[in-house]
Amino acid sequence: MTKYEATIGIEVHVEVKTKSKIFSSSENGYGKDANSSCTVVDLGYPGTLPTLNEEVILQGIRAVHLTHCTLTRKMHFDRKNYFYPDNPKNYQITQNRTPIGQNGYLEIETSEGPKKIEILEMHLEEDTCKSSHKGRVSLLDFNRAGVPLIEIVSKPCMHTKEEAMLYLEKLKETFFYGNISDCKMEEGSMRCDVNVSIAPKESKTLGVKCEIKNIGSIRNVGIAIEKEIARQEEVLEQGQVLKEQTRRFDDQLNDTVLMRVKETGNDYRYFPEPDIPFVFLEEEQIQEALATLPMMPDERRILYQKKGMSKLHIEKILANRSLSDYLNTFLDTNINFVTAANLLLGDISSYLNKNFKKLEQTKLTREKFIDLLQKLEEGALSNKNVKEILEDVLEKEISIPEIMKEKKIQNITDVSFVEEIIQKVLDENTQSVLDYKEGKDRALKYLMGQVMKETKGAVNPKIANEKLVEYLQKR
Amino acid sequence: MKKLSVEEVKHVAHLARIQVSDEEIESYRTRLGALYEMVDGIHEIEGYSEEMMITPVEEVCSLRKDEVGAMLDGASVLSNAPKTNGKFIEVPVVINE
Amino acid sequence: MSKYLDLTIPEIHELYVKKELTPSILLEEVFERIKARKSLNCLITCCQEEALERARELEKEEVGGLLWGIPILIKDNIVTKGIRTTCASKMLENFIPIYDAFVVEKIKKAGMILVGKTNMDEFAMGSTSETSYFGPPKNPWNEAYITGGSSGGNASAIAARIVPLSIGSDTGGSIRQPASYTGIVGMKPTYGRVSRYGLIAFASSLDQIGPMTRTVYENALLLNAIAGKDQNDLTSSSKEVEDYTALIGKDVRDLKIGIPSYLVSDVVSKEVSEVFNHVVNLLKKNGNTVELVDISYLKHAVSLYQIIAMGEASSNLARFDGVRYGYRTENPETIDALYEKTRSEGFGEEVKSRIMVGSSLLSGKNAKLYYDKALSIRDDMRESFLASFQKYDLLIAPTTTTPAYQLGEVMKDPLKTFMDDILVIPANMAGLPAMNLPAGFNQNHLPIGMQIIGAPFGEAKMYQLASFLEKELNLDLEGGRK
Repeated sequence: MTKYEATIGIEVHVEVKTKSKIFSSSENGYGKDANSSCTVVDLGYPGTLPTLNEEVILQGIRAVHLTHCTLTRKMHFDRKNYFYPDNPKNYQITQNRTPIGQNGYLEIETSEGPKKIEILEMHLEEDTCKSSHKGRVSLLDFNRAGVPLIEIVSKPCMHTKEEAMLYLEKLKETFFYGNISDCKMEEGSMRCDVNVSIAPKESKTLGVKCEIKNIGSIRNVGIAIEKEIARQEEVLEQGQVLKEQTRRFDDQLNDTVLMRVKETGNDYRYFPEPDIPFVFLEEEQIQEALATLPMMPDERRILYQKKGMSKLHIEKILANRSLSDYLNTFLDTNINFVTAANLLLGDISSYLNKNFKKLEQTKLTREKFIDLLQKLEEGALSNKNVKEILEDVLEKEISIPEIMKEKKIQNITDVSFVEEIIQKVLDENTQSVLDYKEGKDRALKYLMGQVMKETKGAVNPKIANEKLVEYLQKR
Repeated sequence: MKKLSVEEVKHVAHLARIQVSDEEIESYRTRLGALYEMVDGIHEIEGYSEEMMITPVEEVCSLRKDEVGAMLDGASVLSNAPKTNGKFIEVPVVINE
Repeated sequence: MSKYLDLTIPEIHELYVKKELTPSILLEEVFERIKARKSLNCLITCCQEEALERARELEKEEVGGLLWGIPILIKDNIVTKGIRTTCASKMLENFIPIYDAFVVEKIKKAGMILVGKTNMDEFAMGSTSETSYFGPPKNPWNEAYITGGSSGGNASAIAARIVPLSIGSDTGGSIRQPASYTGIVGMKPTYGRVSRYGLIAFASSLDQIGPMTRTVYENALLLNAIAGKDQNDLTSSSKEVEDYTALIGKDVRDLKIGIPSYLVSDVVSKEVSEVFNHVVNLLKKNGNTVELVDISYLKHAVSLYQIIAMGEASSNLARFDGVRYGYRTENPETIDALYEKTRSEGFGEEVKSRIMVGSSLLSGKNAKLYYDKALSIRDDMRESFLASFQKYDLLIAPTTTTPAYQLGEVMKDPLKTFMDDILVIPANMAGLPAMNLPAGFNQNHLPIGMQIIGAPFGEAKMYQLASFLEKELNLDLEGGRK
């Protein structure tokens, strides 16, 4: 490759899932009518003061825990002062000196093995209002103003786009599974700014960094990093000097474009927010926050692996949290997770997708699912049978045996029935019986195939095989 | 007498988003300078404790239950805005940022 | 002309109960007096219609508590729903708030009648009320003199006996100093005792709302009505509200009283010292101990105050940008033009200057050099005050270095007023309750006041001492009433 090494640091903002905003009691919602979810506090009206939403603090505690950060037990908020139309008070309430979490990491699985991506700090703050541009004017909608955010700042410790993308995937999965955020990049509930610099491989100092703002998807983060590294290499190769600048990703161009060259450092005039006294996090509160954390993906991975599921299936299940959550409700049973995952990812998922339904919206009760799996295991139902009865299973409030009865599915685990078929097949294939006796293994396979054919594949192969050998030996 | 530089005054005026004429810059150079002369007296203070007082309140910050309260209707949001556009408040376009 | 307004609140209340007086009749008298004393310029907005309407509503109800039907004025930096609130600035000249401040809700619940919004220094920045966009209010004792500030309109109106009650705000003496110049009682309660929700912030960690009234008892009555925890203000205290009138009239003896030595140093004029010493002797004569006490860093209090107050103010006033409310420059081409023109046209000189200073003090390295250091020393100053209350029940000091001076004098030397505030600023820095009590007069018969400073939430005890002195001194304070 080249003689340069890239260094990448990422700042991620996630909108925190709560009912109300961080500093006011207006609704934290998405897609509402313009300027319908705000109070005088969100508008920065004269005389208003912030209040502090307990749930945001609890979510912060969870986020700190999940990213292995050190929790700041005594913290305050700070004002970041800058004029901007989307910033109602012209200062943002954030945490500068006492971020709720510091010095954590997330572990990713790269092609070269596991790697810890270090997190410098994470802090709580308020979102800005939304401005949309229309010709010579900008229009302001204050619904988003005051929506709680957690900003997670990584150390500049990534070197490839692969690492950056895996880190973001991991962060997204962690916050999504932790119920901290929806992490929908397309709706802006997860946003990332990427800092990229390059320097000669042997160099001990970092190169001049360039910030790429507001990239809309993890895929585009990869593209942006790739393009930015290439651009910086070209500049250096031409013997030019890199300037610190802010760029943004342009979806249409599929490339980064210059926003502004930084002249001097920002002068945000941070100072402690005097309207919010010190917040002390008590042990009880921390335990309360962590008690509601669901099982996280890494724990699920280990568990599913123990249950014999393939890596591919595990990742597919985890990619669909409602399936994983559903599967986890059977942890106290001894169902076969491999069969269950097969069924959930296969026939059930395709049915749900086709009918735009969610699992919770079906009539698939716990008992029914266990029964369905058991019948599949025993051979009372074949895969083919399942396809036939799935709609009834999911849509009707009747049991599996009742459905089977209705659909006239024979009880093919009935040994006498299997025996009857085997007798018939052996009678009709005397040559193969002789071949078997002479030790030709092929003959057994052929006869088994005939049994299957007779039963249209509905017989339990295990029972059929046992019985077939037994009867062959009798002849 | 202490005086701030023209650049310093211009930087501060920009931070504060206050338009200043050349004459005003001159007067601020002196006024700010005089103020600094006065507050610079605190540099002689030593041996104080680092603990900062961000508010005189000694009670722990109380937290609000996460419940949605009453919100403003659209008309109230816009009632004092000098310039509106449909359901929105309007400002001159914010370019490229 | 009847003089119901010269009665005490309990006397008015008794007439209400006996149905010998109605709020409407009392209001008529208020409006007569406002008209007669127009030259005082103590009001920015008089809400006659709303007040009369409210009086008629009240008259349909049963007579309530002591404050029921009592007319009140509120400083124009406290928001009143539907009633213009200007902060004495062009920036908010036409601003109609869409919510009520916590204290406004409280006074409405208690049945008081809001009569108007008082004149003040623009955004409460000043010590003479001369920075008001609407011109300065006048001192009723002599209209050539300042009322002090920033709650100058309140002081003027109360001293002129236009109404019995008013609510002001005090960031660095803005209740006590004008109270001292006009011979009225003004209390800045403990920081957090009264909710700041709805008070247009000047310096958030220093601002406190408090009552300005004719007498000590009426002051305590009003504090009873407005104190208490507010869910909308995280800095409001959940400490239980006591009856602040409870100790009034109780004998004062064997009290240990401290005088912060720096506050009676040569910064104080001879005429003020004489009045103050008279009070000290009176206290001693009645069996109380009065001693000098050293409080740390008082010499630097003004500098430290300036750093904190202006730093916070530069941030608090950033929201006045012509976008969501208030003044907006005509046809701005760009967003920066909107900001810069709106703010340079909408704010007065003093306000702009303080915003500039505050922005500078927080800019770059200055934040650490000045602001952080000030917050650290402030913490030590408070500790020093708290330590003194281990030994003393109360502290006393003069309120101002001189009596009121003539209008226009201060404009010649802006730093002079900063230094004049040396006596009142320490209480704000430490978050302590402090009040002004009229203590005497100078040769020109201008009032001179004194301060009582209490331990945190020690207001009841302060009122006890204040009422004792009020009775003993027995001053004729009707000089502003013409």
